[in-house]
Amino acid sequence: MNDHLLSIILFSLFGGGILLIFIPNTQALLVRGVAAVSAGIATILSFYLLYNFDYKLGGFQFIERYTWAPNIGISFSLGVDGIAVPLVLASSILIFAGIFVSWHIQDRTKEFYIFLLILAGATVGVYVSLDLFFLYFFYEMSVIPMYLLIGVWGSHTKGYHDLKGYLDMAGKPKRDSLRFFFNFTSNSKEYAAMKLVIFLSVGAVVALMGILLIYSRSGIFTFDLIELSNIPEGHYGKGLVSAIWLMLFFGFASIAPLWPMHSWSPVGHASAPAATSMLHAGVLMKLGHFSIIRVAFFLFPEATQEWMPIAAYLCIGSIVYGGLVALFQKDTKYVIGYSSSSHMGMIFLGMAALNVISLTGAVLYMFAHALATGLLFAMAGWVYDQTHTRDIPSLGGLSKKMPFVTGAFIVAVAASVGFPLTVNFVGELMIVVGSWRMYPKTTILAVLGICITLCYLFRMMRSLFFGELKAEYAGVRDAGLWYDRLPLILMIACSLFYGLFPTRFVEVIQSGVVPLLDRIQSAAPLLTQTGGF
Amino acid sequence: MVAPLSFADIDLSLLAPELWMTFLGCLILTIDFLFPKVNKSHLIYLSMAGIVLICLQLVSFFISEKTGSTFNQMFVLDRLAIFFKIFVLFSTLLILLSSIDAVNKIGYFKIEYYFLLIFSALGMMLMASANDLLSLYLSLEFSTFGFYVLVAYLKDDLKSNEAGIKFFILGVLSSAIIIFGISLVYAASGTILFTELMTIRPSMSAIVGLMFIFISLGYKIGAVPFHAWVPDVYQGAPTPVTSFLSIAPKGAAFALMLRVMFSTFAGMRSEWTWFFMGLAILSMSYGNIVAIAQKNMKRLLAYSGIAQIGNILIGFAAGTKMGSEAVLFYLLAYLFANVGAFAVVIIFSNMTDKDDIEDLAGLNRRSPFLAFALLVFLLSLAGVPPLGGFIAKLYVFAAAINQNLIVLVVVGLVNIVISMYYYLIVVKKIYMVEPADASAIPVSLPLRAVVYFSLAGVFILGIFPIWFIDWSVSATEIFTHLVLR
Repeated sequence: MNDHLLSIILFSLFGGGILLIFIPNTQALLVRGVAAVSAGIATILSFYLLYNFDYKLGGFQFIERYTWAPNIGISFSLGVDGIAVPLVLASSILIFAGIFVSWHIQDRTKEFYIFLLILAGATVGVYVSLDLFFLYFFYEMSVIPMYLLIGVWGSHTKGYHDLKGYLDMAGKPKRDSLRFFFNFTSNSKEYAAMKLVIFLSVGAVVALMGILLIYSRSGIFTFDLIELSNIPEGHYGKGLVSAIWLMLFFGFASIAPLWPMHSWSPVGHASAPAATSMLHAGVLMKLGHFSIIRVAFFLFPEATQEWMPIAAYLCIGSIVYGGLVALFQKDTKYVIGYSSSSHMGMIFLGMAALNVISLTGAVLYMFAHALATGLLFAMAGWVYDQTHTRDIPSLGGLSKKMPFVTGAFIVAVAASVGFPLTVNFVGELMIVVGSWRMYPKTTILAVLGICITLCYLFRMMRSLFFGELKAEYAGVRDAGLWYDRLPLILMIACSLFYGLFPTRFVEVIQSGVVPLLDRIQSAAPLLTQTGGF
Repeated sequence: MVAPLSFADIDLSLLAPELWMTFLGCLILTIDFLFPKVNKSHLIYLSMAGIVLICLQLVSFFISEKTGSTFNQMFVLDRLAIFFKIFVLFSTLLILLSSIDAVNKIGYFKIEYYFLLIFSALGMMLMASANDLLSLYLSLEFSTFGFYVLVAYLKDDLKSNEAGIKFFILGVLSSAIIIFGISLVYAASGTILFTELMTIRPSMSAIVGLMFIFISLGYKIGAVPFHAWVPDVYQGAPTPVTSFLSIAPKGAAFALMLRVMFSTFAGMRSEWTWFFMGLAILSMSYGNIVAIAQKNMKRLLAYSGIAQIGNILIGFAAGTKMGSEAVLFYLLAYLFANVGAFAVVIIFSNMTDKDDIEDLAGLNRRSPFLAFALLVFLLSLAGVPPLGGFIAKLYVFAAAINQNLIVLVVVGLVNIVISMYYYLIVVKKIYMVEPADASAIPVSLPLRAVVYFSLAGVFILGIFPIWFIDWSVSATEIFTHLVLR
């Protein structure tokens, strides 16, 4: 089974989606069951992957290779290193949890699960691809399911209903007209979905330009990452390497999302249904970081040395600006959305420092953030389903009605702010410690960002769950049934367990990080002096 | 010098598919004339069976590498020609299937419709084999004549009549231009054979003549700035005819252009590549930007078609063996996605008599199958993995970037984003808007078959492209004298 483990994980998700096409929509339970089983298989196998990955050996393991289109230089090759393993696991856990979180969806259940499974399969596909073509293939494939998931099953956000009265010149409601698209103050779910697609497509084609340049200028006309990594950087010429590196970086960073390319992300988070927000914040955004590591770091170590400091500057925008904006949001999902965007900055900081501790911390934090944010979005989705509002000031005292949800939310907040015992703490600590030497001032600002996180998440927790319960929310329900609780328990358990025993994870991640950084350092001596920002 | 025509060295077996096709067209017309009581749909299935057999014959030609030329090299049969003949016949099959409902609805001149369709296809098959300027002109005209009638087939419909007139006048104009171009080239070179034209020295009149010929072919494929007829004709013509018009003539015209540019004038690549780069950039940008403003589904597909032609021209401008493979592969991807999208429009307008984008609202509630199919076809046109359009786009871009055509690739990539917007506007309508009238949409068997075929094609081209890539590679073997990548 080890020979085909990755393709089994990948195709259990896609296969579930394909199988669902043949099940009639009326059999909702069967639809959910099939989705849950296919995601369950992927989750179990991802755990198997984590514990069977030989970290002493390092490098790429579980390699599979099939010819696909040799004429254009494409082969379907899969493989994971220590960096990909935790991300595959995070995707599997989140899709499994997401299927249970959206158990109550009644409208076009089948289509919802099909698109959700395709989204999850595509993200796993990116993490396991060892071929640039397939990396891009799955990357681009994850965008369209997001469009439909947000546009069909999402919800409008703040201020949308105020727009109802406005008519455009043709007498149609303004939110349906073409001009509406360019109106950046509007908040319908269709707008959020379209904005997401346009931003991500722009990012994707910029990255594709870089990939095509690699393909043609390497002189070997292949998309195979391993073969391409044997081409010395000097082969491309200095100017071209910088251009390709920047294209890859900004193309992939737009999905991460690095400030100032982040504006699609909170809007998308806020409009998406709970399970989609979970996958979006949990794994989709990490595609950006991962692809930068996998392609830009791996193929262009020298350019990485030269250009990665820009990430250290831009991440301040993400961390501090994102945090400050979150501080002033009144919509639960906007708060979590901006907090995610702020935490993504932390990962960029960890990547920019380019040393073993910080990069390991960054990868660990990707996994940790997926669980914590997934949990937060699941809770926010639950509260929204019960109360039909996401307006923080109008909520309150929900802990009296939903103790279990309150408990889970407290754990999620604790994890998000990097409270000890959670895996986030380990990741955050490693990032801060590792990047302190390279970028002391940025690190101070990042720690400040963590303090801001503390402020807004605790404030949200207080006004949602504590205080007086409003009369109109007397009828809300706690997450009482097994399928309500299962995903929450799973995510909490993973977060706490790996927070207490992170050794396995750290060893696995380091087996991927160390050779990568060796490549980078041997290409050019590591800048050891303190300084920079 | 031109040898006198003698029948001894004419190899009619090379022409067998065309002869069978002629026979088939005449057969159904005669049967209908002699036995007016015969069920028309039986005749259609008969002609489809005939076309399948002709396809099989062509496949056997392809496998046995049957090649050769006849009529003093006027007519040439090689793998490229066979590829495009199969392409034309396959699209004819799909269009025949999609037409059945629409023609029954029209209610008059039923068999004549199919006869014209088959004879247009015959003209296009000849185009794929044309090897001198005269047969180029004759086959081009032959294939267009059928369309003049077909476009104006709805005689009580003003838009259809308008479309017919527009198509006819512009078609005749383009014929005049091409004949003028041919005479100029002949005056400069003294020959009309493609193989002999290879050696002419570039002179003013030859270049102007060639420009005229390509302007006329540009009119055929609907590349900007020769596209003006496309939206009105597409909207006015009966939808199956539009579907046919958007596919088969494009393929046949590309066969001609490939033959002329990639083998006859391969030596002048650095001169003509600019011309096609310009056409590609204009077609992509204009088609995609104007498509945003469209309110009618057929017009939207017309402009998207213009943009797709621009994308194919990227591979063409690359001017390499890989570029020609990419052109062939792209045409296949375009065939399935476009015929499929039009089939959904046909199904929808057969029931509702409407084809505005607004009317498609809530299609997902009315028929989940059709909504999903349209979603897949539009995404394939937009170039989203894992569908055929994505591989095709990547193929042309890879061919172009290997020839250092960075600008062309950048424009192409920008256009992917623009096209994503308007395709997704349609997706928004069909998935996210509630229908005004939620009655289910029935899908008849032939059209269901077309949609299934196209879906299968789009997915297979995207997930297992290797078979079709291999096919394109071996069909373009005659271009091995070019730079490979």
